[in-house]
Amino acid sequence: MANPTLSHLRTMLWLRWRLTRNQWRRGGVVNVVIMFIVVYAGLALAAIGSVAGLAAGIFGLPYARPVEILFVFDGLIAVFLFMWMMGLVTELQRSEVFDLTRFLHLPVALRDVFLLNYLASLLCLSMAAIVPAMLGLTLGLAVGCGPAMLLLLPLVLGFFFMITAWTYRLRGWLAALMVNKRRRQAVIMGVTLAFILVFQLPNLIVNVWGGPGHTRPPQTPEGLAQWQAERQAEEYETEAVFNAVHQVVPLLWLPNGAKGLAEGRVWPALWGALGMIALGSWGFAGAYRGTLRFYQGNGTAKVPAASPVTNTRHEAGKTIFVERSLPLVPQPVTALGLAVLRSMSRAPEVKMALTMNIVIFGVIGAGVIMRRPGTAPAELLPFLACGAAAVTFMGLTQLLFNHFGFDRNGFRALVLLPTPRRHILMGKNLALLVVAFGVFSVFLVMVTALARLRFSDVAAAVLEFAAVFLIMSVLGNLASILAPYRVGAGTMKATKMTGLTALLVFVGHFVSMAAIVPAFFPPLLGMLIGYFTPLSVTVATLLCAAVLAGLAALLYWQTLAPLGRLLERREPKILEMVTHEVE
Amino acid sequence: MLAVETSGLTRCFGPVRAVDGLNLRVEAGQFFGFLGPNGAGKSTTIKMLTGLLAPTSGSMRVLETDLSTTAAARSVKRRIGVVPEDLALFDNLTAREYLTFIGRMYLLPSETVRQRCQELLAMMDLDREEKKTTLEYSHGMKKKLALAAALLPNPDLLFLDEPFEGVDAVASRMLRDVLLGFVKRGTTVFLTSHVLEIVEKLCTHVGIVAQGKLVLQASMDDVRQNGSLEERFLEVVGNGQVEKQKLSWLEE
Ligand SMILES: Nc1ncnc2c1ncn2[C@@H]1O[C@H](COP(=O)(O)OP(=O)(O)OP(=O)(O)O)[C@@H](O)[C@H]1O
Ligand SMILES: [Mg+2]
Repeated sequence: MANPTLSHLRTMLWLRWRLTRNQWRRGGVVNVVIMFIVVYAGLALAAIGSVAGLAAGIFGLPYARPVEILFVFDGLIAVFLFMWMMGLVTELQRSEVFDLTRFLHLPVALRDVFLLNYLASLLCLSMAAIVPAMLGLTLGLAVGCGPAMLLLLPLVLGFFFMITAWTYRLRGWLAALMVNKRRRQAVIMGVTLAFILVFQLPNLIVNVWGGPGHTRPPQTPEGLAQWQAERQAEEYETEAVFNAVHQVVPLLWLPNGAKGLAEGRVWPALWGALGMIALGSWGFAGAYRGTLRFYQGNGTAKVPAASPVTNTRHEAGKTIFVERSLPLVPQPVTALGLAVLRSMSRAPEVKMALTMNIVIFGVIGAGVIMRRPGTAPAELLPFLACGAAAVTFMGLTQLLFNHFGFDRNGFRALVLLPTPRRHILMGKNLALLVVAFGVFSVFLVMVTALARLRFSDVAAAVLEFAAVFLIMSVLGNLASILAPYRVGAGTMKATKMTGLTALLVFVGHFVSMAAIVPAFFPPLLGMLIGYFTPLSVTVATLLCAAVLAGLAALLYWQTLAPLGRLLERREPKILEMVTHEVE
Repeated sequence: MLAVETSGLTRCFGPVRAVDGLNLRVEAGQFFGFLGPNGAGKSTTIKMLTGLLAPTSGSMRVLETDLSTTAAARSVKRRIGVVPEDLALFDNLTAREYLTFIGRMYLLPSETVRQRCQELLAMMDLDREEKKTTLEYSHGMKKKLALAAALLPNPDLLFLDEPFEGVDAVASRMLRDVLLGFVKRGTTVFLTSHVLEIVEKLCTHVGIVAQGKLVLQASMDDVRQNGSLEERFLEVVGNGQVEKQKLSWLEE
């Protein structure tokens, strides 16, 4: 009989190929074209990187000092880690190539499926850009400096193995934690803190190591000699710290080994490679165990201690959230808005989408302002205030531009309803208004406190927020109707898209950025009007903001009915998109 | 009055004609069983009649309203209740929330919504674990919730795609009585099912489709005159091949 592992692997690769091919057949020509463009872009990046690396290794670096080689690798690693982090943030919900749940009941070693999933996760743009470059560089150095440089090979591979294995472990761990309701909060908090730390790291480093700057050299010869000696000592000290860091931090073992090789020492490279492979294996084994636990479902399941009979019967007469009514708002709009809010408050995938983006933009925004709290010139305050409105929306596009993708089968219920479709759009927008306003309030309070905003700035910002929200809602309604995509339920698993939808979503993000721009018109116009007319800047800004909000409301109101009709026409199409999983 | 009337209704999926020139007439007040083998086009027909799927060609009238314009189709939706093939539930709502939502979207007064929710949840035995969201429901519980949502607006016409599939015996019994009650009061029920015993007990009329075409439409009394419903069904769609299929490795 043939080797079972091999034949399983072959069967699974065949399965993947069939799934992809069938998907392409359904998806049409455009999808295939887009897929090819992406693949070619990746290949081109890889080719350019490897050739550049090779050339640099052969012609440039052989004449460089060891420490310069170290810097080159440091730089490459920094670029890679940055891209890798960005990839992680935007695709924390990365889907797996083989859904393990479909294999659990088959006589297949899950190890094999896991391995394939891991290997497939390596195919991404950041890897395509950096790995070939590093390998090229290694070969080039081997040609230029001698075959001892070939020892860089295990170092480079060890480095990527370590990073990817631990990332894989992290992803699995997060997914497992997100299943558990109570831990979900903790995860979101933890991830938030982690990102704040990561993004503030450069700031911290500059503040701690940057110091007050160098003193000017004294004029007298004795003084100068002493000054130089001090500088020298300082430099030695810095260098010692620098070297120590490179020897201790695993992420830097690759540059450290490269420097050692350039100096003719083999051991740092060997130890580094060994260490990184060991660390990688550790992470990998953990990832495997975590994955198994996650899918077989005994990971987080501790039998609750003496579970009391939970009587969760409804108390008669108690009003539930979706029963509430709002003054002036039509009943269907309220009902849908409340139901959507309730759903969102329970859906981890929504919370994840929300927190990730908000945290990133919030942290970047805060980082900018916090440099010097309360010192912004008065002319800048209106801009800072409307910055709070703008930042709010940067993190919300996923929700604003894909109303129905989070509904999945629920969208069928909407199709079956006799409700006028403009009410359905309004209900969706109402729910997001609440979410967006909540986020906006947080940002606004933050900015107000840090930059000491005046009341007029805050008032203008609220109006600008309203305007941008309305514009975004119009665009979002349109995008939701034209380019809906399914978002996986429950965990952070599976958000696969077809090529065309991915492209549309990508374009949508840029469009949404453009929609934020009008927020800055009122402060800008206000400044101009204040400059050229006797009107005060404050009053002018407020007026402009009010006019903008009015115009946006008009736009929203005018487009509501046509968009409703468009929604009604495209309902069957949308339904197909959001109820069928892309495999 | 006709509750459902289609002429030349066709739906293609690529080269496949899932529903092929269907001419169906269901009188108001009938308890209509829509039968056929797997893949015959039953669910596809229901989806088209309820606006979940656009037909490739042909015309449909539901409750005497032509569905060719979206406005007309929407006005019909106010008067029908549907349990579609893959249900229509929101993952992250509880049963009570979902039913309340549906009731409000049908513009029912809040007291009515509350009372009907209570009764339906009790009838479907879904009121014991109110904290559960539908994502955490079992297959049968989801089905029962979907049924409750279809009954809630008190519709004139019910489209039920395999309502008994996955539902426990108690609820199934209750549901049969309820449906009979609805029919007695004048509601038309249009259901598909593979359980011919239930169909035979409940339905007043049946239609059988095979490969997208209607091969039989008759009243239950006519069907019973020459044998049982099962016999007729096997005769019409089975071509007498039932006995011949064998598994080779069972013979060894
Ligand atoms: N989304 C789809 N894409 C392609 N073909 C489809 C799709 N939905 C249904 N079909 C095809 O249409 C035909 C009819 O399917 P339908 O679901 O209506 O059958 P059915 O009578 O409800 O069967 P069952 O008794 O198994 O529920 C089948 O051949 C099926 O393969
Ligand atoms: Mg069916």
